[in-house]
Amino acid sequence: MAINREPQVFLFLSKILGRNIVGATGETLGRIYDLTAEFVEPYPIVTGIIFRSAQKRNPVVLPWKDVVDMDQSISVSVTSIQDLSALHLREGEVLLKDALLDKQVVDTDGAKIRRVNDLHFLKTRHGLHLVHVDVGFRGLMRRVGLIRVFDAIFQGLFDYKLPDHLIPWKFTQPLSSPDLLQLNIAQNRLSQIHPADLADILEELDIKQRAAVFQALDVETAAETLEETDPKIQVSLINDLNSEKASDIIEEMSLSEAVDLIGDLPKAKAEGILKEMEKDIADDVKELMVHPEREAGGMMTTSYLSFRPSTTVREAMDKFRQEAADVDLVYYVYVTDEEERLLGVISLRDLILADADQILEDIMDERVASVKLDDKHDTVAEQFAKYAVTAIPVVDETEKMHGTIIFKNLLEIVAPHLGK
Amino acid sequence: MEKIKIFWKKIIQTGLWKLGLFFAFIGPGIITSNVDNDAGGITTYSLAGANYGLSLLWILIPVTAALIIIQEMCARMGVVSGKGLSDLIRERFGAKITFYLMIILLLANLGNTLCEFAGIAASMEIFGVSKYISVPAGAVFVWWLVVKGNYKSVEKVFLLACVFYLSYIVSGFLVHPDWSAISKAAITPHLNFDAGMLTMAIGIIGTTIAPWMQFYLQSSIVDKGLKADSYKYSRMDVIFGSITVNVVAFFIVMLCAVTLFQNGLKIETAKDAALALAPLAGSYASMLFAFGLLNASLFAASILPLSTAYTICEAFGWESSLNTKFVEAPQFYGLYSLMIFLGAGIILLPGVPLISIMFYSQVINGILLPFVLIFMLLLINDKRIMGNFVNGRLMNIISWATVIILVALSLAMVVSAFF
Repeated sequence: MAINREPQVFLFLSKILGRNIVGATGETLGRIYDLTAEFVEPYPIVTGIIFRSAQKRNPVVLPWKDVVDMDQSISVSVTSIQDLSALHLREGEVLLKDALLDKQVVDTDGAKIRRVNDLHFLKTRHGLHLVHVDVGFRGLMRRVGLIRVFDAIFQGLFDYKLPDHLIPWKFTQPLSSPDLLQLNIAQNRLSQIHPADLADILEELDIKQRAAVFQALDVETAAETLEETDPKIQVSLINDLNSEKASDIIEEMSLSEAVDLIGDLPKAKAEGILKEMEKDIADDVKELMVHPEREAGGMMTTSYLSFRPSTTVREAMDKFRQEAADVDLVYYVYVTDEEERLLGVISLRDLILADADQILEDIMDERVASVKLDDKHDTVAEQFAKYAVTAIPVVDETEKMHGTIIFKNLLEIVAPHLGK
Repeated sequence: MEKIKIFWKKIIQTGLWKLGLFFAFIGPGIITSNVDNDAGGITTYSLAGANYGLSLLWILIPVTAALIIIQEMCARMGVVSGKGLSDLIRERFGAKITFYLMIILLLANLGNTLCEFAGIAASMEIFGVSKYISVPAGAVFVWWLVVKGNYKSVEKVFLLACVFYLSYIVSGFLVHPDWSAISKAAITPHLNFDAGMLTMAIGIIGTTIAPWMQFYLQSSIVDKGLKADSYKYSRMDVIFGSITVNVVAFFIVMLCAVTLFQNGLKIETAKDAALALAPLAGSYASMLFAFGLLNASLFAASILPLSTAYTICEAFGWESSLNTKFVEAPQFYGLYSLMIFLGAGIILLPGVPLISIMFYSQVINGILLPFVLIFMLLLINDKRIMGNFVNGRLMNIISWATVIILVALSLAMVVSAFF
């Protein structure tokens, strides 16, 4: 069984750049300066060679299809550089060295920012494909030109050869220009990263890249990431957006996070965003913004479910299924009277386990712990510790329920003071 | 007793609040300048005053101008590009150049760190503490800063302590100098072409405009996250900082000139200067001088290793954050530890030739500075990085002229070191 195997060779960009280009007549035309590539899936394919020559001032492009052989020098089928055109990038085409080499990329698998030391190509009969980026120390040594010395030292001292640190292209998100971020939007690699990791990455990036990366995210990922980001950076990211886009993202955030963020924004910006928001969300936000951030009223969310005591379990479950996707707190439902006075609480477990025809009054727990609107954060923390719940309802003097504090939101206020 | 306690508490509470407000306005430019008045700086200024009197005082005026020109470009690059200097150099000039530049920077900064620990040793010896106690204690303290990770707040404490630089100014007034002679000296350029005086002049310039400062200033500005439209505040900050550093330098030179030089005392180190001040200007002046030296050395010793590790990791794309564990950022912590370990360790070696180590660290700085400055000028004229914020024609003439003079002086020093 004879299979005609494709000749496959791996190549590094550092070994390609600077090579001589030899024309059909055996004359040296110039030296390779950069490569152009088209960003196609799964691997970008090299479309042309940019080189400088003695005759022309501006670099010229040689289409990759004219390459005959790649050895120590690169043989091409062109005879004279007069036939070649000046550099003009087509849609979707990128200068590889210019856009990637020595620049920062996100390793979406490891959720880290890396600097590209080299690019790793696979040469097949169909062309030259970009398959890996090299971010390792060996790659750096290769660029510096000390790779042999370095390998010899490692071999001599430790009897060990340091492996190349290559990241597969599919886990690589280039950052160097906003265009590159837009280019990959169809299969946005950044959304593969957990929002909390993405937030860490944003915090590490410089101010321009940060804005570019953030704006390349889809609304939902942007909202989740924003929730995990440092408040100062939240403000600067939102400030860079127009009110319409900003309000789209903020609407997707959990209510209490959204309130904190809008409270931190400059007044004019905050008003602009509130105007753009859906009216009912904007009303909720405005209501919550009245309370100071470190009091129970400022930590609570108004996005929870409450029912009358006479509601049946079946009705409650139906409503729950319809609305739970947009509700901040789902682990408890509250039972209130006509004047919104808090009567009892039912955990999600009890609700699911209960008979569908029972009414809520019969299954609710009346011994419900609550805090007042103006209780301070340490009082709230004490209540959480004492009653071991994951959310505490907030009431006023008349026992009227205003919202509920989710443990996570308390943690955000208290956590910065822990362990210090 | 209880009342005093409450009263004291109140003062601290209200006082700290005002202090916070004050430091909100203090920017990277002023911090960098204060770090610039480090052990090496204070030593050089005292030697210049003690050995050459007022005759080198004038040089501080052109040095201030040069410092402003260079730091302004750094600040502008930081604000506009949002990137650190080593980041920009790597992206613009590639891996090879960056690699060798970073090796020289590491060596130069190691030398500088050594000088800071020498400063700690010298100043504590004036207070009668052996260097075998003060240097390890200093190293542990600097190390602790990073392990605890509350560097930012400590930076503010140091800054507050920088108010002690005012002590130099106060001492300057206390000795009742002849102001007319001083102002005359300050505006009359005067330079003998004897090797010692020339070296001293170059030394003053070298210690004021050091390569590491450009990296440190630019990354602190980037950290502040300023936008291009608030750039004018950054510029004010840098100008104010550059003037401050040289006002302090002015007073140190003057103080040593009117006391030590006029009495014909020859000194070799800043410690000599502090000790010699006691009989001439009183023991308080001497103590303040020593305390100023200690504060400056400790401040710079905390910043230099950190700044070096950041700069190098930024250039090579290694994890560099104080929030990570050692195994997550081995290069960062490795470099940082190496700097402190070698910096403090070499001082403790018996019979170490301190003066020549300091001299050669100045030489390495002199080799590095031309490269850094030329890279800066190329970067700041790159439209792809700076957009509309590239140097104007006038600014280019001024900055290239400044850089050429500085490069020539650096080369002169390097050449004179070998022949």
